[in-house]
Amino acid sequence: MTSVRRRQPWIAVFVLVTVVPIVAGLVFMATYASGGIGLLSHGWTDAYWLRVLGDARTWSSLGYSFAVGLVSLLVSILVALGALAALGPWAMRRPLSSLWFVPLTAPPLVAAIISVEMFGNAGWLARVAHALGWIQSPVDFPDVLFTASGLGIIVTHVALVAPFLVLLFGRLERHLRLDALARVAHTLGASRMQVWTRVRIPALLRTAEPTLTVYGLVLVGAFEIPLLVGAQSPSMISVLIERQFAHFDITTKPEAYALATLYALIAMSLLLAWFGWRGTRRMQGHGA
Amino acid sequence: MTRRALMLAVSVLLVLPVVLLALLSVSRHWSWPVLLPHAWQWTQWRELLAGQADLCAVLLRSLGISVSVGLLATGLAFPTSRAVARHRQRGRLLALSHIPFALSPVVLGVALLYGFMQLGLAGHIIGVVAAQLIFAYAYAVILLSGFWNERVHALAALAGTLHANRWQVWRHVLFPVARPMLGVCFFQTFLVSWFDYALVLLIGGGQVTTLTMRLYGYFGSGDLRLAATCALLLLLPPLVALVVHHRLPATAVAVHFEVSRE
Repeated sequence: MTSVRRRQPWIAVFVLVTVVPIVAGLVFMATYASGGIGLLSHGWTDAYWLRVLGDARTWSSLGYSFAVGLVSLLVSILVALGALAALGPWAMRRPLSSLWFVPLTAPPLVAAIISVEMFGNAGWLARVAHALGWIQSPVDFPDVLFTASGLGIIVTHVALVAPFLVLLFGRLERHLRLDALARVAHTLGASRMQVWTRVRIPALLRTAEPTLTVYGLVLVGAFEIPLLVGAQSPSMISVLIERQFAHFDITTKPEAYALATLYALIAMSLLLAWFGWRGTRRMQGHGA
Repeated sequence: MTRRALMLAVSVLLVLPVVLLALLSVSRHWSWPVLLPHAWQWTQWRELLAGQADLCAVLLRSLGISVSVGLLATGLAFPTSRAVARHRQRGRLLALSHIPFALSPVVLGVALLYGFMQLGLAGHIIGVVAAQLIFAYAYAVILLSGFWNERVHALAALAGTLHANRWQVWRHVLFPVARPMLGVCFFQTFLVSWFDYALVLLIGGGQVTTLTMRLYGYFGSGDLRLAATCALLLLLPPLVALVVHHRLPATAVAVHFEVSRE
């Protein structure tokens, strides 16, 4: 009992630093969005909430954010698995074993600027295309950035996330001894494709699931990359919140707070639901 | 042979963006459609190395903020992670520590701003450090919780049976064993702060200028030469860590892997 009591101060620090500011911030945002406080407050109201919930922009931005985030993650996984399959043992040998880290050294803001310089209409790839005689002027180069499809955001996300996943999957392969498992599967008559689809990919994805889930949510809430290489409309949710919040018209503040609270509740619910589902699955696994 | 060619191609692709930034930062003229700059200049690098450029002050401020966040997060998270690892509600506490990442820095910044204004922390370096600490500390707790395995607990218990007091257990057993992991944790939490733009923008409110803020400003104003210089400065600490201490990043991925297994 004494040892339990001794550990409590650090749990209190944990709650104080991690939980209290977030809960306090959420309560403040929800109260502001409900007219309870604020410079222009005229008393409690649901008007701001109704305006945000009834605004098509809210739902298109949320849907767009989840779509772009999930597609970015999915493509990153495919690229990482493809690189491991195509490169084989070379993927984790020098110099590649070190070079995969290079994109991880770039902050999202830098990654976005590199994307502009690489994939822009007058960017380096367009210059290469011109040198090869494929295009005559910048307008001939296909639009990658600032498009409503979110292609520029996805490409930049993939450039940052895929190398990390190569490293993660490479280490997992070694730890899970997937080469040995693959040899067994091969001896039992599995083709190379079956070894990947039935042995390697399920084992890698299952073990990396927590990291992938958190990465997915981080990509949905991404800010810097969509801000610099995304379209004006539709915009990712973090960009929309920041724009509404920074708007010169202070009457839009309660709506910005309502939107931020809505997104925070959705993201937190998804994360906690996933943790709950994972816990239940584990319990069932232990039970079995 | 095909794999070797593919490896070379991937290697070039991975390094190309950094080379491109380096070229941009020293180019004087680089107009469409030429592939390489046709005139060069080194002014801002000379001024920077001589300590004259305004960027020098911004660089030092950014380093100060990130080192503070890294030290605070690692220092606080080390004992916290042990308490979390031994707690009955370990899974729930770890789930809670993931919440800041689900929220996104923009939402967290918007949520915190009013409170920080009331506390006089908005527009101040301490406010930026405090806001980034929420992310960095949560991240450090997740990373370090993987450290507290059966072997470490057994080592601490063994020291206890040899009459070591609590302080001695921490100083002579746990800290030396954890030192490589603490190095990784400091490096990663340093980067959480070093890479941040949204919290500096919202909590700093334009009063706290860091390299990411300056980079956005230069890029927005169309000064690509200075933007590229700023971007290279941002890449520098992690690249140096990669070159000087090539084991450090490898451990960093191992940590993610440990978290995956949790």
